[in-house]
Amino acid sequence: MNEKNQNDAQIKDEQTSAILATSTIIIFFAVYWFFQIQSVRELLELAYG
Amino acid sequence: MPTSILGPYTRTILTAAAIIGLLLFSFTYARVSVWIDVQPFFEWMETTWFGVIGKTWGAAFAVVEAVHLIGLALLGGSVIVGEGRILGLVLTDVPARTIINRADKVFFWALMTLLATGVFMACGVAMKIYYLPVYWYKMLALGTGILFHFCIRKPLLQRELEKINPWVTKAVAISSLMIWFTVAATGRWIGFSG
Repeated sequence: MNEKNQNDAQIKDEQTSAILATSTIIIFFAVYWFFQIQSVRELLELAYG
Repeated sequence: MPTSILGPYTRTILTAAAIIGLLLFSFTYARVSVWIDVQPFFEWMETTWFGVIGKTWGAAFAVVEAVHLIGLALLGGSVIVGEGRILGLVLTDVPARTIINRADKVFFWALMTLLATGVFMACGVAMKIYYLPVYWYKMLALGTGILFHFCIRKPLLQRELEKINPWVTKAVAISSLMIWFTVAATGRWIGFSG
């Protein structure tokens, strides 16, 4: 029973760390691409009005 | 199992520390400081046998680059197949465990090939890449990818998949795809620069 609890705790820890890492990566990419697309739109507006 | 000093959330705490460390390194003067400090190392790289061969014997560099690209194709293939299966997009008639384990073996050897050939190629053009910001972006993406794969993805997916929240496995697959596509894209960007 104790071993099962430890195993469950390990899975919970691994899932929490995965949520932390993936949310950081996904948010970073979303912000990065938002500014990249915005910058390209501004350049195109400057070039073609 | 020995109890960790950080308690039941050891991996989560270490992950948070690694993320904060990586972000601080990337967005502060620490990055510039390290960049200045490693210049002698890059100058030395060009004087090594690898550096001399890479600079003077174009055919050798081209052959090694071809192997590097094959390694990249293998790595990209293993990532697309593994993550595609987790997302339920490809090979859905084969058990996910089989695909993940087999793709992981290919991924490991592809990564070893990329690292070995990458070191040789870096020696040949050490001072060129030293001054290319995109080379450092690639190294940051590669470091993040290796840490993410071996410290987050692999330990999680070694567990029984049924016990893991499917949204977590999907988020891991999407993040992995994003990181490795960035590594590949920045690698190609190096080719277009300088």
